[in-house]
Amino acid sequence: MDKLLEALKDRADQAEVYREQVKTIPIEFRSGKLESLKSTETQGAALRVIANGRLGFSTTTDMSDVSTLAKAALAASKFGEEAKFSFSSDNPSPRHDVYDREIVDISEEALVNLGERVISRLMDADPKVDINLSLSKRVETVAIRNTSGLDVEEKRTSIGLSAEVGKTSEGDIFVLFDEQQVRAMSDLDPDRLVKHIVDFLGYGEKIVQTESKNLPVVFTPNGTIALLLPLLVGFNGKSVLMGTSPLKGRIGETAFDPRFSLTDDGTIAHGVRTSAFDDEGTPSSRTPLVSKGTVEGFTYDLWTAALAGVAPTGNGYKGGLMGGGGFRTPPGVGTSNVLVAAGDRSEDEIIASIEEGLLVDSVLGLGQGNIAAGEFSNNVAVAFKIEDGKIVGRVKNTMIAGNTYSLLKENLIALASEPIWVMGALNTPAIAVDGVSVIGQ
Amino acid sequence: MEQIIKQAIAGSDADYTEIRIEHEARSQVLFRKDKLENIEGSREQGGIVRALKDGGWGIAAFNDISDLPGKVKEATRMAQLVARNIDEPVELAAVEPVQQVVTADLKNDFRSVPLEEKKKLIEEYNRILLGYDKRIVSTNTRYTDSFRTVTFANSEGTFIVQEIPDITLLLVAVASDGSQNIQQGFESLGEAAGYEFVQNREEDAKSAAKRAVDLLSAKPVSGGKYTVILDPSLAGVFIHEAFGHFCEADFLFKNEQLKKVMKLGSRFGNDDLNVVDEGFIPGLRGNVPFDDEGTPRAKTYLIKNGILNSVLHSRETAKKMGAEPTGNARAISYEFEPIVRMTNTYIEAGHQTMKQMLSEIDHGLYAVRAYGGQTMFEQFTFSAAYAFAIEHGELGEMLRDVVLTGNVFETLRSIDGIGDDLAMFGGSGGCGKGGQFPLPVTDGAPHIRIQNVTVGGK
Repeated sequence: MDKLLEALKDRADQAEVYREQVKTIPIEFRSGKLESLKSTETQGAALRVIANGRLGFSTTTDMSDVSTLAKAALAASKFGEEAKFSFSSDNPSPRHDVYDREIVDISEEALVNLGERVISRLMDADPKVDINLSLSKRVETVAIRNTSGLDVEEKRTSIGLSAEVGKTSEGDIFVLFDEQQVRAMSDLDPDRLVKHIVDFLGYGEKIVQTESKNLPVVFTPNGTIALLLPLLVGFNGKSVLMGTSPLKGRIGETAFDPRFSLTDDGTIAHGVRTSAFDDEGTPSSRTPLVSKGTVEGFTYDLWTAALAGVAPTGNGYKGGLMGGGGFRTPPGVGTSNVLVAAGDRSEDEIIASIEEGLLVDSVLGLGQGNIAAGEFSNNVAVAFKIEDGKIVGRVKNTMIAGNTYSLLKENLIALASEPIWVMGALNTPAIAVDGVSVIGQ
Repeated sequence: MEQIIKQAIAGSDADYTEIRIEHEARSQVLFRKDKLENIEGSREQGGIVRALKDGGWGIAAFNDISDLPGKVKEATRMAQLVARNIDEPVELAAVEPVQQVVTADLKNDFRSVPLEEKKKLIEEYNRILLGYDKRIVSTNTRYTDSFRTVTFANSEGTFIVQEIPDITLLLVAVASDGSQNIQQGFESLGEAAGYEFVQNREEDAKSAAKRAVDLLSAKPVSGGKYTVILDPSLAGVFIHEAFGHFCEADFLFKNEQLKKVMKLGSRFGNDDLNVVDEGFIPGLRGNVPFDDEGTPRAKTYLIKNGILNSVLHSRETAKKMGAEPTGNARAISYEFEPIVRMTNTYIEAGHQTMKQMLSEIDHGLYAVRAYGGQTMFEQFTFSAAYAFAIEHGELGEMLRDVVLTGNVFETLRSIDGIGDDLAMFGGSGGCGKGGQFPLPVTDGAPHIRIQNVTVGGK
């Protein structure tokens, strides 16, 4: 990397080399049986150059031939966009809590045993279920150096556990899904995953009908993504800059219910997206997006921040919005860990207070509909009917639709008091809103 | 390279060993609004070894292709670990060994087009999108090309080198009327073709921009049950998402209950319903002359005259289910093992005209283009880019926010009209499954009419 930067000094105004080395062990169980074991060992480098004020990008997997990489990035920069930003120069120290020795050391056999234990506990609860389970450990080193003097390197670990549990009967297939992504072995909570699935299998035994009308909906922590996805897009500094976010120009405005607070936090302990720096080397930070209903800020990478005339927030992630793009993709504005503030009633108490409504745990067609405008319209995948404060059965072939911005401003019933990590980097309690359009059978 | 691969396989202790090595050259030009967000030319190489030992699969994926014997050992070690933990060993259906080189024959090879020329072309499309109307607030104009050379060899004597070209163009216009009404129009194009495929697309850019602006004044659809005509693009997404994934045998072969649901010979639709997965149609993105297990392409009738005729197989699922491999074991890249995937999937043309189907509907919807689709077993959901009301046999006003959902088996049985106008769509995205996205595929269909479809809305 040093040689590459040295060689580029005379040919570019600025240069940045991102390098990652990743080792993973993914394990797949299908229909309850071990299917395959895999080991991957991949590495790649991405080079960004700004030459004559213009940005160029190229990537390679061949570390022995960096001169081809330099040529390609310089060639791209000839026709590239004008770049009026500087690569990061802060040098944050690596965090130690994002690297867990226990994950590094855990053997393939131990992972297989863990998977088998989870499967046997699910089978104990209901022997008729079909279980597909994945476990994956990941150990990576990310190093970024640039001509502004940045020289950072961080070792990170993560482990993922996901289970898809299906129950097929005449004319009906009921599938439950749950997953966990954590940076440390001790944060993995297979008991919670098993309990969630077993409880919901029980609720789902009976199928009930629902009419088409506006109803209160309680989104479980897993289900909240259907409601929150428009916000992840709307608070993205790029959407704001492009004029496609309805939140543009509304900082300081009370655009949400005063009980609603939302934070992007790349520094919080136990977050799976927590790191010392983002994929551009900018130190990670905590960015309040909504504070007690008031719009506080947006997330930015280096380029978008410069165009917007604000400071970067450490949200420059390869792959953009949801990140995870790896060395191949250029950085864009993405979320780190997203936190929804908890309320004061338990999820059970909230459900008990609903006369008629739905409990939604997952939906199909996430990201469809007019997300930019805050609209969601989804088929429920796992949802239950609530009558007189009790879960009375599962609903099928039912759609829910609404507008996140108006639901979280005018129709918030309650936020539950028990936030948990779901979908990896989202920390949220259950959220109940009124007046969701439900289309039943 | 050939000798190194063959030697590594010869030195393997596994019962079956395969090595796939891939070299890729790709480029991308991406505009968002008035900014050139990315311009790049990149190269990548890597490989994967899959070994079967005592009936267990072990896999090793890597970029550093200098130590193939070491990677064969690693995959074999993994396979042995798996073999110790399973009670039913994996077996593979027989496939005739083959030695072949498949070259790509491109009219205008995109690898020899300078990056500057690509940038100029995409910039022009972006200018058309942005300049169409003052209400266009943003764009997403993306060009990609990829040329992969994939070498596959296995311990049965197969050695195949395939060149796989892919080129895509995405044209998205986002319009806003200044309030919270934000709409988009798009054209999404992809083929296994040369640079000529993306040239002369000015009209596509205009139509994407026009649609975004038109949608600003379109009314949201009212939720409920409708008789729906799907245009060929949306019908193609429906057959791929809702039904095609159900036919992927890796999803069925170990699940006794699902196997009963997908029993060959069962009736799935009316007599005139035929659904095909075809591994090679010149120019299409989903083409797989040989799949990533070295099985030659096939034309597979999934549904023939309304009856479930076949599902899609890898060598493993074919053996387990007593069928022939269908050439559908595909991997998106060297980082992944092949899994059962679709190629070019379509509903065959029927005999009805669009006009005829339309004239028989008193109150319904004409849903056009797919914005996205997802399926979870029998339940599917997909959203139309836009739609038109159908009143008394005629197309009426434009509608937006049309999300269709239902049970795939009921919906297939409810298809009561199949048009004579089959069209195929590669699109600029791809299919996702098991963490492998985007896989180039093609979907297609004629216009189809479906009774009693649930449409979400307020």
